[in-house]
Formats: sequence, C-alpha cells, structure tokens
Amino acid sequence: MAAKDFRNVRLGIFVLVGTGLLIAALYLIGSKQNLFGSTFHISANFNNVSGLMKGNNVRFAGINVGTVESVEIVSDTSVNVVMIIENSVQKFIKKNALASVGTDGLMGNKLVNINSVNEPSESIEEDDVLQSLKPVEMDQMVRTLDVTNENIKVISTNLRNITDKINSKNSLWNLLMDTVVAENVKSSIVNMKLMSNEGLYITGDLKAITQGIKNGKGSIGALITDTLISSKIKQSVITLQKLSDTAAIVTGDISQIVRNLKHGKGTMGVLLTDTSLIHNLNTSVKSINKGAVTFDEDMKALQSSWPFKKYFKKQKKAKK
Amino acid sequence: MKSSGFRKFLSETGDIARFTGRFFTELFKPRFEFAEFFRQCYFIGYKSLPLVAITAFIMGLVITIQSRPTLVEFGAEAWLPKMVSVSLVREIAPVITALICAGKIGSGIGAELGSMKVTEQIDAMDVSGTNPYKFLVVTRVMSTTLMIPILAVLADAVSLYGGFLGTNIRGVCSWDLYWNQVFDTLTYGDVIPSIAKTFLFGFAIGIIGCYKGFNSSKGTEGVGQSANSAVVISSLLVFVLDLLAVQITDLLQLT
Repeated sequence: MAAKDFRNVRLGIFVLVGTGLLIAALYLIGSKQNLFGSTFHISANFNNVSGLMKGNNVRFAGINVGTVESVEIVSDTSVNVVMIIENSVQKFIKKNALASVGTDGLMGNKLVNINSVNEPSESIEEDDVLQSLKPVEMDQMVRTLDVTNENIKVISTNLRNITDKINSKNSLWNLLMDTVVAENVKSSIVNMKLMSNEGLYITGDLKAITQGIKNGKGSIGALITDTLISSKIKQSVITLQKLSDTAAIVTGDISQIVRNLKHGKGTMGVLLTDTSLIHNLNTSVKSINKGAVTFDEDMKALQSSWPFKKYFKKQKKAKK
Repeated sequence: MKSSGFRKFLSETGDIARFTGRFFTELFKPRFEFAEFFRQCYFIGYKSLPLVAITAFIMGLVITIQSRPTLVEFGAEAWLPKMVSVSLVREIAPVITALICAGKIGSGIGAELGSMKVTEQIDAMDVSGTNPYKFLVVTRVMSTTLMIPILAVLADAVSLYGGFLGTNIRGVCSWDLYWNQVFDTLTYGDVIPSIAKTFLFGFAIGIIGCYKGFNSSKGTEGVGQSANSAVVISSLLVFVLDLLAVQITDLLQLT
C-alpha cells in the first residue's frame, strides 16, 4: 500500500505541475492582453485605422499600456477604436493626448500610439474620447520614397560623372597621382622653407638694425638719436635766423645809405650830388686846357730858341 | 469472413466507431474503477515523462538552431524566441508528445490487452462478474485522454527551455527577455487549440490501443500484430486529427 501511495504522490505532482504550468501560461498570456487586473476604457475616432485589429497593442510614451478592444465603423469617415488601458497609467494620460495608428517597426503589427501634448490638462477618465492624428500610411511613405529614389538616382549619376572626370587624364586626380609633380611640389616646399628661413634671418637682421638705430648705433642712428646734434642744428638754425635778421638790418642800412647818397648827405653824397663842385671842376679843366695850349706855344717858341735848336735838329736826323 | 481490402477497412472503421460508442456508454455507467484509473495514469503519464521531456527538449533546441540562419538572413535574429515559441507551442510539442506516446503507450496497451485476450483473461473477467470493458478500456482511454495534455504542457515548457538554450548558443538573450518575448508572442489562440487537440490525440491513442488489444487474433503472433497496428494507426490518427484540429481552429478564427 505504501508503494501505491508513493506512486499516487508522484502522479499528483506530475498532474499538478502540468496543470500549474498550463494555468501559469494562460495567466501570463492573459495579463499581456490585459484580461486580468484593473483596467478602464477609452476610445478614439480615426479616419483610417490602416488594418488595426482587436488585440493590437496600445502604447503610451512607447510603453505597452493596453490593447485594442474593438474597431467599429461609425460613419463613412469615422472609425471608433475602443481601447482597454491599465488603471496604473490613468493619471499619466491627459484628456488632450493624441492617439495615432502606428506600426511596430517597419513591417510589424499595427498599434495605437497615445502621445502627450505639451499643454496642461486633466487626467483621462473612463470612456473619454481622445483626439486622433492621421496615421502615416505605408503607401504615402513609399510614394515619397519613390521621389527620393529618383533624386538619389540623379545625384548618383552626377557623382559618377564627377568621379569619372576625376579618374580621367589631365585631371586633378592625375595631378594628385603624378609623382613628379609631387616631387616638385615637395622641393618647392623645401625651397619655400629655406626662403622663409632666410627671411627669418633677414628679419632678424632688420630687427638688429632697428634695434641698433634705436640704440643710436651707426650714423643714421646717431643722426636719429643724437640729441646734442639736434640741439646744435637747432642752434645753427637760430643763428641763421639771426644772420638773416642782421642781413635784413644791413640791407636796410644799405638802402638808407643809398638814400642818403642820393640826397647828397656825407662826403660821398656831397661828392656825388654837389653840382657846384662839378662846375668848378669843369672850369678847372677848362683852365688846365688853356694853360696846356699856352704851354704848347711856349714849348714851340723854346724849340726855335738857340739853346734848344741843336737838340731838335739832332732828333729829326735820328728819326730819318 | 473473406472480404476485399477496402471492405475490410470499412468494416474495421465501423468496428472502431462502435467500440468508441461503447466507451461512452460504459463511461457513464456507475462504478468507475478509480484505483485502476490512477494506476494507468501513473504508468501512462508519469512513466512517459522522461521520454517526452527529452524528446521535447531536443526538439526545442534543434528547432531554434535550425531557425537561426533563416532569421539571420532577414536580420530578424531578435525574433528567434517569438518564432520558436509559436512553432513549438502550436505544433511541434503537442505532435511530438502524441507520437512518442503513440509509440510507447499505444504499443503497450495493444500488447497488454492483446496478451490478456489471447490468454483468455478477459473472458475470465467477464465470467467472474467484472466488466472487462469498464475495467480495462475505460480506465486506459480516460488516462491517456487526460495524461497526454499534461505531458504536452510539460513538453511545451521543456521545449521552450531548450529553445532558450538554443537561442543562447550563438546569440544572447537573457532569461527574462526570452520568457517575456515568448509570452508577448503567444496568445490564447496559440495555446488553447494546441492543448485541446492533445485531448483528441490522447483519446485516439487510448482507443486504438484498446481496440487493437481487445480484438487481437488468437496466438502470440496476434499480440505482436495488434501492438504494431495500434502504433501505426494511432500515429496516423494523430496526424489526421491534427489536420482536422487546424482546420476547425482556422474555421472558427481562433488562430
């Protein structure tokens, strides 16, 4: 009998584990579909539900919060979708939230997305109706993609042309690929480097020179920097000024003298201007002329006088 | 009773139907043999568990490994738990369980009842006042009908565990994520029809085994024959019933 009891115990465990697993699985599946636990109902009206079915998920902020309970046509432009939502999210869904029909992934199941609007509102309540957004339709997407594809085609053709051009001879690419050019470029860069090095030296020198000039080395430097010379120059300029001043005075004096001379002041002036003196001179010269004539006559008379006769004769003979 | 093959087939089908009808009439007659029922449950259910569990585990593992390359081709490796769970729960675990049980239990019942028939124990029972049909057939058919579903549920669990290990051979899927994905994918439409059909499988295995054993021909040869044909016909019936079950669930939109 003990053996039979033991068997029965094992059979009991077997049956219990089996049925327990089945019940657990059914409960888990049910809980995923919100068949247990506290829920509430909300609904939304759509123009087009894109194949939404009973049992599809409802997501709020990307989290599964419920399922679609029913999809019913209300009128020719309106489909009413009733959703079962978990009570725990009731406080988060506001009355002004927007419902939209979306897809889980690109090819996945349809689902209802509830999105919050950035405006304050009260929490949703049982049997509230949400505003809805027009669903993004696959057809429309594909149509847009088609246009995009056309554009990409054109762009890729252009790109191909460009790359062809780049690859062809006498192109930039060739230039880039040419090793000689590269060598030249390299050597010119080296030269440029040398040049710039020299330039560096030159600037260094220039710097030294200007430094020197600043410090008063060399003649220019001295010229520029020697304060003594500049004061001397200043002085000479002053002297020159004085000189010219003096010259002006001298000129003034001269003109005074000339004026005086004109007016016959002083000895020279008298000399130059005294008309009586000139008259006297004239008469003196006339008297001298008279005296000379008389003297000539005297001389002739003398020649013919005896003491002097012999001499004149002798002179005549020598002339012949 | 010389007759053509087809006629023989038809008459056998009729016999099985009559046998099945007798089961239901006997089932509701009082004095249910509980002790024998539990003994059979123990042998049919509990004793078959290791065999079913090993088979289911290997099937889960193999199906997962085999499905991976195809899913990788689509870049849908993440869908592996979903795909595996659906295929295991809906079809593979119940059918594998039923086939294993058809082999183990069907042949066992066929051989046991056949040898009892041959050794005239059944006739002796009848004489001694015990209803042999009630004592032998009703208990066995009831235990197969009730035990095969439990075995199938356990096989589901074990095969899904095999699937978990298979998923983690090349990919990474945490224990929680795996079961979350599995139960996210499974619906009542997957589980209930698949469990419901295992009752039919169990019933078919029990009734065919009993019929073949009960109607065994004389001699030791007949015992082997009845065991053999019990396995063949019950295995075949499992597939026929599977087809019917799928069509009915599809018709009722339970999928």
